Order: sequence, then C-alpha cells, then structure tokens
Amino acid sequence: MENSTFEFRTVYPSDSSPEMEEVRNLLSDNQLELETRVEVFVVCEAEGRIIACAGLDHNTIKCVAVADEWRGVSLSLQLGTEVIKLAAQRGQFHLFLYSRPHNLPFFRGWGFYPLVQVPQLVVLMDNSPTALRQYCAKLRSQHQQGKTIGGVVLNANPFTRGHQYLVEKAAGECEWLHVFVVKEEASLFSYADRFALVQEGVAPIGNLTLHPGSDYIISRATFPGYFLKEQATIDHGWAGIDLLLFREYIAPALGITHRFVGAEPFDPVTNQYNRDMKTWLEQSSSPAPPIAVVEVPRVTASGAPISATEVRRLLAQGDYSRIEQLVPATTMQFLETKYPLGMSISK
Amino acid sequence: MKVIREAIAGTLESSDLLVKVAPSDKGVRDIVIRSEVIKQFGKQIKRVVAETLDNLSVSEGAVEIDDKGALDCVIRARVQAAVLRASDTQELNWEKLK
Repeated sequence: MENSTFEFRTVYPSDSSPEMEEVRNLLSDNQLELETRVEVFVVCEAEGRIIACAGLDHNTIKCVAVADEWRGVSLSLQLGTEVIKLAAQRGQFHLFLYSRPHNLPFFRGWGFYPLVQVPQLVVLMDNSPTALRQYCAKLRSQHQQGKTIGGVVLNANPFTRGHQYLVEKAAGECEWLHVFVVKEEASLFSYADRFALVQEGVAPIGNLTLHPGSDYIISRATFPGYFLKEQATIDHGWAGIDLLLFREYIAPALGITHRFVGAEPFDPVTNQYNRDMKTWLEQSSSPAPPIAVVEVPRVTASGAPISATEVRRLLAQGDYSRIEQLVPATTMQFLETKYPLGMSISK
Repeated sequence: MKVIREAIAGTLESSDLLVKVAPSDKGVRDIVIRSEVIKQFGKQIKRVVAETLDNLSVSEGAVEIDDKGALDCVIRARVQAAVLRASDTQELNWEKLK
C-alpha cells in the first residue's frame, strides 16, 4: 500500500454526488455522522475509492476519518496538510478541530492542541499555541477586584429592554460585571450594530466592562448548535465545550464568580443551554472553580415576556408601535433609521 | 518586507515544516516554534528562522512553526515562501534569498 498514490480532491456536500455517498459511508464506518454544517470535504482517493476525508465548516475541522486498512501509512499528515491548505485558500488560518478524545494524539501531529474536553465524548482543539493565551492576557488586563464578579454573554439581536433589565439586575448584584457580545455574524443584525446598541444601552451603568466577542465565546467554532436554533437541536454534550471554555479560561482571567442569564420561556434550545450552564459551570468536575449560575426572570411588556425574536418578528411586519414597548430608545432610533417603514425584511 | 496578510507554506509531513505568518498587532516580531526535535535542535531552528526573517527585513509579524525535523535549507525555503505570500512585494532581492 505504501506505493499507492493518493489523490486529494474537494467535494461539496451540497452536490449530491456519488462521492458524497462514499464520504457518508466512510464516516458511518467510523461512528461519525455527516454534520450539516460542513461546507466542503477534502477527500483522498486511492485504488478508485475514497479512503479518507476531512470536513471544513468555516474555521472548524470535523468529520475526519481514515479507512481502517489505510491507517499507519502516514496518509493522515497529508490529509491534514490538504485541509489546512484548503482552509487557508478560504481565508481561514486560525482553525478549530473537533475530535473524539481518544484521537487527540493523532491531531497533535496536525499542529492542534486541546482546549477543553467533554470526557468520553468530544475534545475541542485549535492550531495556535498562543491565541487563547493572548486573549486571556488581554482579559486579565481588565480584571477588577471584588468578591462577586459577574459575567453576561449577549447576542442582542437586537438589544431589547429584556437585555437591559438583565444587565442592570446583574450589575446591581455584583461588584463588577463583564458583558460580552457574541461576535459571530450569523444574526439579522451585524456584530458592529449589535455591539453599538449594547454599548449605548448599558452606558448608564458604572460598574461594567463591555468586551468584544471572540472565537472562544459562543462562536460557530465553540458552539455550532447555537446558530442553528431554527433548524436543529443541540447535542447536550457539545454545549459543554463552550461552557467549559468559559469556566476554565475566560472566567479565571477576569475572576468571574457568577454568570447571569435570562430565563427562557420560548426557545427550547436556549432553555436547554441554560440548564446545561448549571451542569457545566456549577456541577461538573473541572480544574477550575465552579461559577454560580443566576437565572434572571424575563421582564414583560403588556403581559408578554420580551424577546429579541419577537422584535424581529414585529420588524418583519413593520409594527413599530409594538416594538417601541420592547426596546430602549437607542435601539428604537436605530431600527427606524436602518429599516424605514415599508422596507421589507426577512426575520 | 511588511507582513500584510496571513499566509502558510509547507506541510505537516516528516522532514518538512508548516510555517504560518500573520501580521502582528503589537508591532513586534513573535516567533513560536514547535518541533519534534526541539530538545536537540530548538536553538538551531530558531536561529535559522530568525536569520531568514532578518534577510527578508521582516521586523514585525507573528510566525508560528510546526516542525517535523526539517533540514535548515528546507526551513529557510518554507519561511521565505510564507513571508512572500504574506507580503505584497513585487520586486524581489534574489541575493537575499539564499
């Protein structure tokens, strides 16, 4: 087999080609499922069939498999090189990788190092020896002294009175509060707009630091399911990845003792995430100290809980008078300028 | 030579190395080396990388290297390729690419 020539090609899951059928079979032989988010596969062909594959979702490598009988012929390093090059062509250099824990040593050879692990289930790795360390060092420079230091992560799509209430309430219960805005561009409103609205909305609060988001906090890499809400459910174990990153790296850098979160009456994914939060931040064993999870009840407007989803729905209908009850003046002003009445949008 | 974008060169295979170059936001030159032979040859690898960057007049940038026991000439070639891809240099001083 050593003399066989390996040929590498790219295959797109969106084409329902016979190659994709082979990829699917190869994955299932390796107890892996074809992930819906994989945009492109690197496949390796030898002797007329696909013997290895590696999937790429934006900046994250997953669905890596090598057929049993082709292991130990240093094929995997070629596969790794090919997928890293493909990512580079697509503008992605800082890469993440999901693997089963027992394959971790194999991916070290690809230049990937473990970040966090859900035992027996999955490990998240990345390929920069310095990125997370530098990020945490940056956070540490904003560390505030105190016994109760809070953390809140918002997508704020867009910033509502509900978010405002959550942040005010959390800031009131802590000596200092750190607020993060999800960076991923997977929402109706751009990151820049969402960040600006949070900034204006929380401006009156004195004991608070507003942080930009990062790849390490509710991103497509750390929490793929979050951005799939409408179509799919999250595999519980995987939510642990994002939460353990928070507990083991981000919270210690800032001395965060409490994480505040809005109670979720509607969305089953977020509701499940809130429950997972208690599991991974408070209960599961970890080298990092536990973080208390505080669920803040939703604030209501004319009897109904306020949510950003509802704001987007009303926006699609052009119902500005009802939106006005749900968002602070700063957000209202933004919406009226950005989406003048009569302009159609999809939620 | 100024590093203006991210770029890679090389492979993960034995006797080769993968070089990643990125612009630095701190205005300094950072070199991080991981090697299977770091104990025996770490210093030598670092010296070759630094010399190659000096010859190309790269004073700012983040350089990450995954080495699988490459020879010095391979290290030089891969670092040069990555830097050239990461810069927008049109004119090359070939004498410096030795």
